[in-house]
Amino acid sequence: MDVARELLSGNVLAGARAIRWLDDRDRRGAQVLSSVFPHTGRAQIIGVTGPPGAGKSTLANAMITEQRRRGRRVGVVAIDPTSPFSGGAILGDRVRMARHTLDPGVFIRSVGTRGHAGGLSRSTHDTCLILDAMGYDVIFVETVGVGQDEIDIVALAHTTIIIGVPGLGDEVQAIKAGLMEVGDVFVINKADREGYEATRQQFELMLHLREEARPADAFDWSPPLLPAVATRDEGIAGIIDATDRHGSKLRDSGEFARMSGRRERAQALALMGEEMLRIAMERADAEVLSAVEARQIDPYEAARLLVHRLSPVQEE
Amino acid sequence: MQPIEERPLRVLLAKLGMDTHTVGVTVIAHALREAGMEVIFTGLKQTPAMVASAAIQEDVDVVGVSTLSAGHTRSLPTLARLLREAGAGDKLLLAGGVIPEEDRPLLEEAGVDRIFTMGADTRDIVAYLNQWRATRREERD
Ligand code: B12
Ligand SMILES: Nc1nc2c(ncn2[C@@H]2O[C@H](COP(=O)(O)OP(=O)(O)OP(=O)(O)O)[C@@H](O)[C@H]2O)c(=O)[nH]1
Ligand SMILES: [Mg+2]
Repeated sequence: MDVARELLSGNVLAGARAIRWLDDRDRRGAQVLSSVFPHTGRAQIIGVTGPPGAGKSTLANAMITEQRRRGRRVGVVAIDPTSPFSGGAILGDRVRMARHTLDPGVFIRSVGTRGHAGGLSRSTHDTCLILDAMGYDVIFVETVGVGQDEIDIVALAHTTIIIGVPGLGDEVQAIKAGLMEVGDVFVINKADREGYEATRQQFELMLHLREEARPADAFDWSPPLLPAVATRDEGIAGIIDATDRHGSKLRDSGEFARMSGRRERAQALALMGEEMLRIAMERADAEVLSAVEARQIDPYEAARLLVHRLSPVQEE
Repeated sequence: MQPIEERPLRVLLAKLGMDTHTVGVTVIAHALREAGMEVIFTGLKQTPAMVASAAIQEDVDVVGVSTLSAGHTRSLPTLARLLREAGAGDKLLLAGGVIPEEDRPLLEEAGVDRIFTMGADTRDIVAYLNQWRATRREERD
């Protein structure tokens, strides 16, 4: 099977295999990615993030339905944490999206973080590119339940939806999360629950402060704050109206392409970093290492020498 | 040094039809995770077509069905056939739960690779999977 060609024509088996190779760091993955890369850059990547149990998967499920109603093909990357002890994982997000399993216009992929910090897996970016190449118009990326620092999704997604819920220790949740500064669309899910009004006020205040602090040259977008009851598909059309408006505005202003470009640039630098580290580790000068081991030189001096003695890398 | 497995085995665990017995599938899910595998759970009330479709999207190595409320003599052969027809016949198909001895030949004939019933030791299941993995051909296109 010519995986690259097959996935471009929408073959699910081929796309799924390419994603597996990239996730497993199988070298065939990079080859496929190179072939299909010219066919990417079209899909709107929408991040779905928020604390554990906020209803990210349930909301994604409802949003898939709404996107399908609007005639779009939908890809989903749902990330759950890998156990740092065993390296294994139980990936359960797709349970809540089961009603889309047989829809040929929907592709759902579960991934483990596999030791990667930041709320995404190392392969999430690549997976989005493959789904984009397969012709999915919208790609939802559900992050692991985030805390404070896990905001890698912002660099990946064109549009980031931040989900809050009533009664999670309101202000702490909103302020400390560090998420208020980065979201494009804010949703208070479980609006059927007690405490909704208090949470709404908290979010409103934070968004107001954020508006005031916005630099004049920043992208002209005021994040909306929307209620939802994901389990009853309530408020979903309003959310997709907002992500559509955000998407159109990004595209019309040229920011969409610039974001995608910045993302590929960041990815290239990250990959370079990994490769450099690998090469440097392989070639670390044994003499210097023995010297520091014998405590003849200190670690800082050793590191400086190790960098100096690295031989230049030849192009293969 | 033993770094975290870069290519963990991926296993889809599914429950078919109206069978709501969840203890066995939960035990298996945890055992496989502790053994370093990625377990994808489909949830309850799946049809064979849904399981086949999820298995393909997730590109799992193994599909495991837990069945305790009968119906397996029809659903499992259907699942095996759907996987084959979709070009995913290379996935290992396991079944567990309440499966009478006399059903085994039919299921094995239909493409179920291995059956584990009540009292099966999860360590044996893990060992079986690791061994299957080791003997499987390395390049799988
Ligand atoms: C607990 C139980 C229930 C609980 C379930 C609670 C829950 N959330 O799971 C409740 C009370 C709700 C229940 C309800 C019913 N039950 Co009930 N239940 C049982 C019971 C007593 C134990 C099942 C169990 O949890 N075992 C413990 C787990 C760990 O064992 P296990 O599931 O077999 O899993 C092991 C292996 O089979 C294997 N395995 C299992 N799945 C998989 C998957 C893979 C991939 C692999 C590799 C291995 C594997 O590994 C596990 C570890 O060893 C069994 C009796 C029995 N002997 O099994 C009856 C039993 C399964 N129930 C039965 C029935 C009929 C019912 C009911 C229909 C009505 C009734 N008469 O009670 C309802 C309806 C449920 C439904 N719609 O499906 C019958 C089924 C008969 C049949 N298949 O022909 C049984 C066999 C009792 C009997 N002897 O009549 N039940
Ligand atoms: N009352 C109420 N419950 C909801 C709503 N949305 C989701 N839930 C419930 O909240 C629980 C968690 O939902 P999920 O969608 O799994 O949440 P999640 O954020 O994806 O969870 P993780 O992926 O584990 O972080 C489930 O029991 C849902 O049924 C809602 O709008 N109202
Ligand atoms: Mg989830």
